Order: sequence, then structure tokens, then C-alpha cells
Amino acid sequence: MFYQPKTVQEALERKAQLKDRGSFIAGGTDLVVLMNAGKAAPETFIDLTHVKGLNAIHRHNGTLDLAGNVTHAQCGRLPVRCLAQASLSVGGPGIRELGTIAGNLATASPAGDGSTALLALDAEVELSSVRGTRRLPLDKFFVSYRKTALAPDEMITRVSIPTTYQTDWAKNGKRGAVNISVVAAAVAITPKKDVRIALASVAPTPTRCYQAERFLAEAGLGADSIRKAIEILRGEIKPITDHRASADYKTHLAGVMVRRLLENLVNA
Amino acid sequence: MSARKTKNGGGLWPLRCTINGKKISRRVQPNQTLLDFLRLELGLTGTKGACLEGECGSCYVLVDGKPMNSCMMLVPQVQDRKVITIEGLAKGGHLDIVQQKFVECGAVQCGYCTPGLILAAKALLATNRHPTREEFLVGMEGNICRCTGYNTVLRACELAADEMGLKKK
Repeated sequence: MFYQPKTVQEALERKAQLKDRGSFIAGGTDLVVLMNAGKAAPETFIDLTHVKGLNAIHRHNGTLDLAGNVTHAQCGRLPVRCLAQASLSVGGPGIRELGTIAGNLATASPAGDGSTALLALDAEVELSSVRGTRRLPLDKFFVSYRKTALAPDEMITRVSIPTTYQTDWAKNGKRGAVNISVVAAAVAITPKKDVRIALASVAPTPTRCYQAERFLAEAGLGADSIRKAIEILRGEIKPITDHRASADYKTHLAGVMVRRLLENLVNA
Repeated sequence: MSARKTKNGGGLWPLRCTINGKKISRRVQPNQTLLDFLRLELGLTGTKGACLEGECGSCYVLVDGKPMNSCMMLVPQVQDRKVITIEGLAKGGHLDIVQQKFVECGAVQCGYCTPGLILAAKALLATNRHPTREEFLVGMEGNICRCTGYNTVLRACELAADEMGLKKK
């Protein structure tokens, strides 16, 4: 069966009725790829592409509210450097027009490009169901490998980010385009001068580097403290050796990338 | 590529959309990809399928003017939308300017990637009339040419942009 709700309420009611038997689909850039490979065969789809207002972007008081269907292409045009950069590095133009911010989070890939940027931005996700709405900091949303805090009747309706952070982002992969990360990194400095560091492809989920952040909060942002923070960061991440690179290489690379990003931000 | 059968045996989707300017209204398998629908049901075989995972861009179509990978879309997702495939570019027996330049430049080797490349270029030129070389590379980064004939492709795109610019003046 295929359902194409026109409103969020209609989508939530259908999801409440079907729970895990109903698969949300938006961009399809993960789900349909799995179907093409014979690795998924959902019986019932709840298509979100025709839900009104679900690709809206609202700006107020230093915050951007991005509705769930906002695409990578839309995020690529936002005045938030780390998210724009991350979004423009996803796939190619076709994938960026299809893939959505909610889908990018819900699929919870450890290599999620957008996820790193959103983690560094202290993004908040709004999870809705017929029972009501709750807001969750993004770092509480990723639970374990490919597992999220989404209940079987919930969907991501909104992602909120600040426009007041100074940010940057980088990715290293094996190709120049349509590139999955060996390591992706986002850094941000909040208006109170706190530092945020987020990495992809170094843990079972996209991850914040709290120990390195805490060290920098105490030591301040200088050349020496950044070097020391990188040592701490290399100790706190847990990449695995896989077909993209060895754990040692990823650990080294993550440190180099974050050091350069932080130095650039400090010197900016 | 074969059409998938729905497990529940029913639930055909009443598709309504526009493809290459022609209104379509028919019942379709909702879990069929747009790519399979175009090729197998409509016989529009200009749209190609190769990787079926978004890496190659040979399945590009324009949906409401935007480039999209038809291998990752299910047919009902284009409900009430306008789809353009490579077959929809020529008008009155005349090739589109980008197609013409591909021919003139010999920007085709085996040709499998060509429809996707041309549609990616069309999408880019619709929003940016004078792309730089760098902008062409980004606009077409989702398309792989396995014969690696990229230089003539870029030349064709740049000539098409030039000619489009001349016509507008």
C-alpha cells in the first residue's frame, strides 16, 4: 500500500495506525537504494513528499527552524557555514534535491555529513506523534549504530539551529564528488565562546567530542591548547578499521582536520 | 531491471502527472521506481539505469525543473508534478541547444551517461546562465562518464551556455 498524506496530522495518524509496518519515505535516497539492492521491501509506504509546509524554513530571533522535508539543496543555500558546506558535499545535485534533513538524521548513518554540522550547532529536533510533540537535543537523538530515539509512531517534523555560531566544516573522502566520508568534521564557537566539535565516521553514530570541548572550555583557544585538545580528541574517538581506512589513519586524520578547522576559526 | 510486484497484491496507485508535456493518468504499481516506470511502462528508454544507488546519474530526469535520480524515486512521488526526460528536450524535430553542442563536440563515446549529463547541464543552465568551469564541475558532479570523456562534455556545455547567452541578447 502507498499513502500520500497532505498534512502532518494525516501522516502522524497513519504512522500511529501502522507503526513499524509503515515506512516513511521522502527523498528515498536510502530506502529505495536498499529496495533496489533487494535488502528492503516495505509493504506500506507513507510518502512525505506531498505534505504541505514540510519544506518551510523560518527564521526568528537568531534561530532557523527547518521543517523535516527541507532538502540538502535548500540547506546548501543557508547562511550557516558548517551546515551549508556539509549539505553541498552530499551526493550530487540530484541527491541534494531529493534527500531531506529529517531523512539524513533518521537514517542515523555514522557517516552522516549533515549530522556533524547539526551536532556542532547544538541542533534540536522536534519529534511529533498523535500523542504530542517533544523536543530533543540532537546528541540525545542518536542512540547507537543506526538507532535513534524515534518511537514507532513518531516523525521528525522540525530541526532548529542557531544562526549565531561561528562554524566551519570539512570532509575527507576517497573521491572528489558523490563522496562518503573517511572522516567528516564540524566545529563551532558559540556566542559565549564555547567550542563544539563533531565528527562522522569515527564512532557507531555521528558524535560530539565532549572531552576535547571541555578541555578547550577551561584552557581557552590558543595554539598550544588546540594541540593538547587534539591529543584528547584522538583518545576519545573510536573509529574502526574498514574498507575506507584503518582506525589509526582515521584517528590521525580526525585530529589534523579538527586542528586546522579550529586554527582557521581562531584566526578568522 | 524488472518491475516489482506488490506483496499485498493490490493497492495500485492512480497516477496523475505530466511527462514531457503530456498528461498521464493511469494506475501504477506504487513500489516501482520512476526509472522502471519510464522505461518499462512508457517505453522512454532514453533514461538509463546503471548503479541504481545514486552514484552515476545516468537516470537523471527533471522534476519541476530540478535534477533528480529517477532510480531512487517511487512513481507516486511525482504525483501532480512535471517530469522531463531526455526525450522531452527536442522541440518540433529540433534538438535542444545542449544536445546540439554534444553532437557538434563529439561529447559522446558509448553514450550511456549522455542523457543524464545533458539533463544535469540543462538544470544548471536554467538557474545559472553563465556557469564557470568550476560551477559546471559541481553541477555535473553527480554524473559519471565511464569512458571518461569529460573534456568534450564540458566544452559542449560551455558552448551551449555561450550560444544561449547570445540568443538572449
